[in-house]
Amino acid sequence: MSASLSSETRAEPNLTPLLDVVFQLITFFMLVINFSNDNFDQRVKLPVAGSARPVDDASKVAEDRLVLNIDSSGRLLFNGKNYSSDEAIEQIKLQAALVRLNVKAGGVKLDPSGSLPTRIVIRADRDMSFGPLYQLMNACQNNGFQKFEFKAMTGS
Amino acid sequence: MSLGKKKKKQKRSSDVDIPITPMLDMAFQLLTFFILTYTPSPQETSFAMNLVPAQAATKLDAQMSSDAASNADLPASLRTLDTGLRAAEGGRLGRISLGENAIDGMAAFEKELTSILSDKDLAFDQALIRVDPRLHFSEVMKVIDIYAKLKITKISFSEMTGADEGSPQ
Repeated sequence: MSASLSSETRAEPNLTPLLDVVFQLITFFMLVINFSNDNFDQRVKLPVAGSARPVDDASKVAEDRLVLNIDSSGRLLFNGKNYSSDEAIEQIKLQAALVRLNVKAGGVKLDPSGSLPTRIVIRADRDMSFGPLYQLMNACQNNGFQKFEFKAMTGS
Repeated sequence: MSLGKKKKKQKRSSDVDIPITPMLDMAFQLLTFFILTYTPSPQETSFAMNLVPAQAATKLDAQMSSDAASNADLPASLRTLDTGLRAAEGGRLGRISLGENAIDGMAAFEKELTSILSDKDLAFDQALIRVDPRLHFSEVMKVIDIYAKLKITKISFSEMTGADEGSPQ
């Protein structure tokens, strides 16, 4: 008698709405999460610029890009190592030679001006002096890179 | 009648109970993973530009930017706005000059630039920014930002040398 009473009054919470909410939260986080920041170096604090535009993912895929992270002391952070300005210039020379080889292997004709199709993406620290950055930009230009992209942040 | 009741009873006893609890556990684990890996950082944006070798921009036979279309018959020197940026103590912006004129602050620079670019008789469509090597990159970016706002994206850079020190006051 008492057993049948207890089975009748047993509370079974309805978990379905809770599951709905959890799935909605999961969907939200899946949409906003970003796994594609493998080239971003957290040591670099980007400057703020209001009129800079986000780069669409399609152009990222279509274009060959070389990302250069430069820290506040003007050292190039590249491929997990950091380089002084002379070493950085050597690295850029090497990268330009690799791009030329790639282009040649792909059977693509270079621009008559000799400019390389690769875009240099510069992620420079906001507190770095312009001098070392200018040296790097010059090295890129002297080695045939003409397409540049300067990274910035929105907001403060 | 009695047969119908029996059938109903049989149906109730064969109801399938799907256990939601394991699914909820898995969902909570996924939720925890996404919450932990989520970093709400400001969006990265960028300025894309084609940079021609900087020193050549002020020469009469200077190389045109590859995306130059309008005013292509004018020499680059007549189409280039010359901006000088000098550093103050600590790499902050000291003085801005636009051509021969010294400008007082970033707001005045933007105002002056807007008035120049709104003048239909002037054919400026590219800029040369001469920068003091000690100046912080964030200050240079502010100037690039102003030029980009005014739709000037053909920009070249040069380093301010000792010879530039005596120029615009």
